[in-house]
Amino acid sequence: MKMYTATIPGSALKVRSRESYYARQKRLFVVVVILVAIIPLLCISWTASHFYQKSWLDKTTVELTSLANSRREIIDLFLDSQENILAGYAELYDLDWLSSPGNLEKLFKAMNHQGVIVDLGLIAQDGSHRNYVGPFAEDLKDKNYAEARWFAEVMQSGRYISDVFTGYRGVPHFIVAVTDPTRSWVLRATINSELFNALLASAEVGPGGDAFILNQQGELQTPSRLGLTALPAGEKGLLATGGDLTIHHSQGALYATTGIKNNAWTLVLKTDIKTSLADFYRARQRDHLIIACAALLILGVATFLVRSMMNKVEDADQQRMQLYDRIRYSEKMALIGRMAANVAHEINNPLQIIGDQAGWLNELLDEEDPASLKNTEEYRTAFAKIKAQVKRASIITHRLLGFSRSTDGLKSLTNINTLVEETVSFLEKEATNHRIAIRRNLDPALPEITTDSTQLQQVFLNIVNNAFDAIGNDGAVTISTSQGNGQLAVEFADSGPGLPEEVLIKVFEPFFTTKKAGSGTGIGLAISYSIVERLGGSIEARNGRQGGCVFRVTLPVTPQ
Amino acid sequence: MDESSILVIDDEEEFVATLVQRLRKRGWDSEGVLNGRAGIARAAAGDFTVILLDMRLPDMDGGQVLQEIKKIKPASRVIILTGHASASEGEEGIKNGACDYLLKPVEFETLLEKLEAARNRGP
Repeated sequence: MKMYTATIPGSALKVRSRESYYARQKRLFVVVVILVAIIPLLCISWTASHFYQKSWLDKTTVELTSLANSRREIIDLFLDSQENILAGYAELYDLDWLSSPGNLEKLFKAMNHQGVIVDLGLIAQDGSHRNYVGPFAEDLKDKNYAEARWFAEVMQSGRYISDVFTGYRGVPHFIVAVTDPTRSWVLRATINSELFNALLASAEVGPGGDAFILNQQGELQTPSRLGLTALPAGEKGLLATGGDLTIHHSQGALYATTGIKNNAWTLVLKTDIKTSLADFYRARQRDHLIIACAALLILGVATFLVRSMMNKVEDADQQRMQLYDRIRYSEKMALIGRMAANVAHEINNPLQIIGDQAGWLNELLDEEDPASLKNTEEYRTAFAKIKAQVKRASIITHRLLGFSRSTDGLKSLTNINTLVEETVSFLEKEATNHRIAIRRNLDPALPEITTDSTQLQQVFLNIVNNAFDAIGNDGAVTISTSQGNGQLAVEFADSGPGLPEEVLIKVFEPFFTTKKAGSGTGIGLAISYSIVERLGGSIEARNGRQGGCVFRVTLPVTPQ
Repeated sequence: MDESSILVIDDEEEFVATLVQRLRKRGWDSEGVLNGRAGIARAAAGDFTVILLDMRLPDMDGGQVLQEIKKIKPASRVIILTGHASASEGEEGIKNGACDYLLKPVEFETLLEKLEAARNRGP
């Protein structure tokens, strides 16, 4: 909603807009611009980030799956080959041949040319060592495995690969054991843990990743890169896969699990999402910073642009409203003027008849016999009064006709300074009577203009007479002329009390007067207004800075 | 027709009647008509010293009546007397040959002065 208040009518309109409307509009535009500019930015950023993470996750899942498959094949192949080699020896050689110390050593050497096994032992059906090649001969030669679980297992199924265990030798290891076809003895090899562990160590699982093997109880069979000694409680579910290759996504990590060694062990590959994406997160942080800067920049620019735009709109609105008010006031004045002139026209005829009838009666009175009339003098006085009142009314109606007076064809080249001087000369006597000084501050370089000097003088007379009325006695009227912007101005400043705001608003309206009844008709300034408008100029009234009232008449230098 | 005769052309019947009476009383042979056509006809037929013409007549515009009269009798002395006309209409009338322009209400004495002045101006 807009609200404007015109403080002075005519050309001196001062329009004040209700600021809250523009402030609200500014805020609204800023918010809209920011939303329109920043939301897409945030959407792009979020979408890019989301899709990058998703595609990274998809790619990593594929890589991890492929890695788990290849490692499973390698490990299974390794274990199978160790088992098959031993089984081959067990079929090829008999107990007696193997019991000979030199023979077993030959086999050890043949099998261990890559350092795959640590030792090789031959164990009789009763669980006692029949032969042994390896570094722990002293510790193990008297050991009996009849009660060991692995021994029972291998005797039952013919082939056996153990979990990692410490055993008699006090270091973690695991064994591969096979029996001869008759299951009367056992050939057992201890696998080099380091070599076996190396099969996993080369798996590339990225920074923060891990690769290890678990047995069915969840115990680590190979060392964890991260130094884990047991599977964390929250990750026990990794074992519940039934041996198939499975991808888990939990606690910021991606796991690939698959069964190996006939599902007796579970191979676990872990990629840490956070650590792997650290570079991405850093880049994203940088992006966020850039977006925040861009948002701030947009905010600043939007605010600045909206402010400057709204200020222009506000100015344009004000100018438009000023113009609108001026036009409206002008139209109102023209309408009132036309009405006043029409009323005057209509009244002139009856006034003429009243005057004539009174005059006629007065003349007829001359023919009467004075002796037969008692009130002759009263009649004469009454006729004189009627005549005087008709005269009085006619002065008003004739002045009202000024509203519709055309100025066409009456314009001539006029020196405004001379016109001012002439006007002053008419009023000097009255000014002296009321001890009012008339000061002149005339621009000698004022150009002559083509205008209706008679009507303009009427305007000047009206204004100065009003100034005299405002001052009363003792004071001054200063008349100044000046030029600029293709216009010249005549200012009349009086030393009177000035006019209250509510009077200034109406000062040019017809029949508005502050003078006491009978001494002013309220037509002079209204006619002055319409004359100046018709001459293509403008007239305004305001209170002077040093008090008093200032009337300013502005006229175009080039005729309109 | 008397040498000092006046034709009043005005649609205000009461105004015309009273004025004619008062003028006759002052020695002016006067007559009045209430519309433009009758005015032109009388002006053409008679030989009036001065014609008083209103600008707003019921059938015609006063300016037209003036032009017609001046066409028929260029020497006619016409005084415009109107309550309606603006200054520009008066100026227009004077341009078209009227010898004076008066705005109602006009005092009878003023009117007589103007009539005398017109008569003395000669045709």
